[in-house]
Amino acid sequence: MIAAGIDIGSITTKAVLLSEEGILGSHVRFTGYNAEQAGRTVLDELAAQLGLKRKDIRRIISTGYGRRSLDFADRALTEIICHGAGAFYQNSGIRCIIDIGGQDSKVILLDETGKVKDFVMNDKCAAGTGRFLEVMARALEVDLEAFPVLAVKATSPARISNLCTVFAESEVISLIAKGTPREEIVAGIHQAIAQRVVALARRIGVREPVTMTGGVARNSGLVSEIERELSLPIIENPLPQVNGALGAAVLGLRMG
Amino acid sequence: MTAVNTITPSAADERKIQSVKRMKEIMTAYYIDAKTAAENNKKVAWITSGGPVEPLIAMDVIPVYPENHGAMIGAAKMGIDLCERSEQMGYARDLCSYARADIACATVDGGPIGGLPRPDFLVCCNNICGTVLKWYEVQARYFNVPLFIFDTPFIHTEFSIEAQKYVRRQFEEFFVFLEEQCGRRFDGDRFEETARLSYEALHLWQDILDTTTKRPSPMTAFDAFTHLALIVTLRGTRTAVDYYTQLREEMLGRVARGVAMVPREEHRLLWDNLPIWYRMRWLSETFASHNASLVADTYTSAWSGMGDHFDDKDLVGALASSYANIYINISIDRMFESLKKKIQKYEIDGLVMHSNRSCKPYSFGQYDLQRRVMDELGVPALVIEADMVDERAFSEAQVDTRIEAFVETLRQKRVS
Amino acid sequence: MRELEEFRRVARDPYTYAESLKKETGRPIIGSFCSYAPEEIVVAAGAVPFRIFGTRENITRADAHLQAYACSLARGSLEEALAGKLKFLDGTIFPHTCDTIQRLSDIWRLNAGIPLHWDVVLPVKLNTESARDYLAGVISKFRRDMETGLGVEIGEDALIEAVALFNRIRGNLNTLYEMRRKSPGLIDAGDLHAVVKSSMVMDRRDLAAKLEALVEALRRTEPRDVDGLHRLFLAGGVCSHPEIYSLLEESGGVTVWDDLCTGTRYFEGLIAESGDPVAAIADRYAIRAACPAKHASLVSRGDHLIRAVRESRARGVIFLFLKFCDPHAFDYPYLKSSLDEAGVPSMVLEVEEQLPPEGQLRTRLETFVSLL
Repeated sequence: MIAAGIDIGSITTKAVLLSEEGILGSHVRFTGYNAEQAGRTVLDELAAQLGLKRKDIRRIISTGYGRRSLDFADRALTEIICHGAGAFYQNSGIRCIIDIGGQDSKVILLDETGKVKDFVMNDKCAAGTGRFLEVMARALEVDLEAFPVLAVKATSPARISNLCTVFAESEVISLIAKGTPREEIVAGIHQAIAQRVVALARRIGVREPVTMTGGVARNSGLVSEIERELSLPIIENPLPQVNGALGAAVLGLRMG
Repeated sequence: MTAVNTITPSAADERKIQSVKRMKEIMTAYYIDAKTAAENNKKVAWITSGGPVEPLIAMDVIPVYPENHGAMIGAAKMGIDLCERSEQMGYARDLCSYARADIACATVDGGPIGGLPRPDFLVCCNNICGTVLKWYEVQARYFNVPLFIFDTPFIHTEFSIEAQKYVRRQFEEFFVFLEEQCGRRFDGDRFEETARLSYEALHLWQDILDTTTKRPSPMTAFDAFTHLALIVTLRGTRTAVDYYTQLREEMLGRVARGVAMVPREEHRLLWDNLPIWYRMRWLSETFASHNASLVADTYTSAWSGMGDHFDDKDLVGALASSYANIYINISIDRMFESLKKKIQKYEIDGLVMHSNRSCKPYSFGQYDLQRRVMDELGVPALVIEADMVDERAFSEAQVDTRIEAFVETLRQKRVS
Repeated sequence: MRELEEFRRVARDPYTYAESLKKETGRPIIGSFCSYAPEEIVVAAGAVPFRIFGTRENITRADAHLQAYACSLARGSLEEALAGKLKFLDGTIFPHTCDTIQRLSDIWRLNAGIPLHWDVVLPVKLNTESARDYLAGVISKFRRDMETGLGVEIGEDALIEAVALFNRIRGNLNTLYEMRRKSPGLIDAGDLHAVVKSSMVMDRRDLAAKLEALVEALRRTEPRDVDGLHRLFLAGGVCSHPEIYSLLEESGGVTVWDDLCTGTRYFEGLIAESGDPVAAIADRYAIRAACPAKHASLVSRGDHLIRAVRESRARGVIFLFLKFCDPHAFDYPYLKSSLDEAGVPSMVLEVEEQLPPEGQLRTRLETFVSLL
């Protein structure tokens, strides 16, 4: 049996096709204005790549902010449930997932069977989200991809104390004006986000081992900063970006 | 523009307040006493800064002030760490940073002095805010100790007969509570003696603050913030009276010798709200660099204002009045009258208001006060957004710009 | 259901209702923010108590008076007054509760342009002899101040009658809640919210009759099937978000009881109908479930919550807090740990007058409900 998971996020839409044997393939595209169309297209494109027809797919589970826009999905489940299932599928040892998305960040605790035990999400403030990183990258005129490379070179990270993204941006600008090296500022930004996210995690209590999902998990500088804040290693998630779609597919397969 | 003051070392030395050393000794001894209370069979009560402490001292209970501790945490720049810890415990970050820091500190014995001594009971007086009620409830549950709530009804348009009776009666209830906690009769004579000492210190404190009516001002609000420690923690004791007698002498001496805290005092400013504890030095230097001297503030004078209600024939009634009429327990129209008096008395050129995220009852209403001060008294007023302990709510670049622009307005006003 | 229509209409647009009531009857309309406003005395004075709820509009005028870290209820209500939308009010009552409302009272008195203003400076504690006496004294004083303000005399008979009327109203609201607790499909939570909300606005005599009619109508109604939904409990301050109820249903839950200022805390507890009515009104405040800005004991709020949750057989609790509401935020860790100990799952939603983005809200609600 083949199941599809489609994760419609605010920026990208992801699809994973899964069978009892394992992951058949995954695919990512921009969401654009029409979530329904993005979900339909990403699945069709992935199926075509794999030489599959729609009727070969027995179950379709949608997740992400656009999960309710797909009328052809069998079920819509929240990304929290799906991220939990996805991370557990990849590594059944995982008990805690830190997911930093574009708009929000969340921390999810799993029990021994992979079920979500508890979760917490950031409030409406953007501190500790991918958006915060983007704003800071713009202020620094540095490409986000270069952040990890720069952070490694830092010797005494600059202190960014403000929680508010707007204030923090002005803090960064004044650091630039003072001539603080970019790498120190970048490391300081990583520290600020790590502190926010770890504070969020502590609100529900961290359980080992921890993994990270979401696109931001590819930023090795931030990951190691979070490890330092947590005093725990982060277990790498091999497919952080499509983890939610994978979880959806896992849950679809389980529906039979 | 930042005019750099050319300061000779001797002038800088002369400006230093000599009594600071003595104050530090007293505070150290006070905290050692408090922290060794259990070993000396003494009881410790945690009490709010504006709480009626006289009955405690009369019963040999050592009063400990979590707010003073909060200020120390802020000044030691340990606020962020403790605030974050409390947020992890589930406390919203919009709550008072004194409360957050203290609640977290109690669980880890952190902060600059390794935590406060464990309380035997708590005394919470809500004349400063409703926050202290919730904060003390949290601590009473945490330490599993009794809480005495001293309720001072807020004064919007009147201190009603009902409220006066109520506050008075609570003194009686407080005495009974203390008898239960201490296991002995309440000592009325010592209480009266303590109350008199308290008023003596409050009057001395007023005298000290009044030395800044002179030009140039011998001290600034930043010094008042530091020297306030004793009026908060040790009022009602001989130590406080002796210390403030000494400090008053020093200030009067400075006035006689013309010693200025801000060398080229050009603008005389009034500060509103609590200090920004983690940026005291920076703010003090920034204002001084603009030749601006903060000669008065509404915060430290909240205590001296209590002295006005002294009545030697009815000390309980006097204290009831003093504690209920405290500056922050009155409506904004009454606050305006008080601001107006200060502006006239200290010949104020500008008002600087700290909009303090931690202190809603002190901060809400500032915009109305700001407008009235500008419109009715023609005095420019500036609002700075910050927090007393949580540095994350402070943007140095923003505050710096605002101060500079404000002083520029004052200068232009002076020219025209 | 015909009996619900008026409630829905009033809840949707309370201003129009109040304006036309005033035009028709000429009776003064008196605003308030809180369940501690002694409405019995207002009614005995021949006036109509009107609960002020804040705004969904953008806040601009109030920003000149209140910082952004004031709660949206305070800022929003001030906005409505400054925009002239509360012109029908003859006066406002400010019972003393939290620091924000305390200062809002000053700002309101000086800026809102509403002729009459009463501060009811209640005690902060409810559990000592002097506080109880003071509480009764404050209610008495309010009665005198109201007489002066409105130029009327509030007779003993009028007071006794008002007390009886409020007992009828509160009794019926309680019956409605109990009926729904037993059978949540009987009436939509959103409709029940509309009933409670309009109860704080409508002419109280008219209201009492309409509530009785509604209870009767519901006794003859066949409940909707909601067996697949998880029973939930709402706890917090003001709820002015009727859409939260439908969002909850779409997420697989149904509210069966609450501990809200715009819910049970408004109607819980009856007033003794014998003895001095003023003292009896004061007594009800001292014994009913306390707002977190008041102190009944160190553990009364947690105990009350656990008891109410058990009685309601709710599977989970959703805390609904207004951002910047200090009293509730201080109690949250304690209440949450009380629930944890009792094995009741809970989650917290911090909202302003505007709900958080719907996507995030749905994600959180759906996940919470699916974990029950």
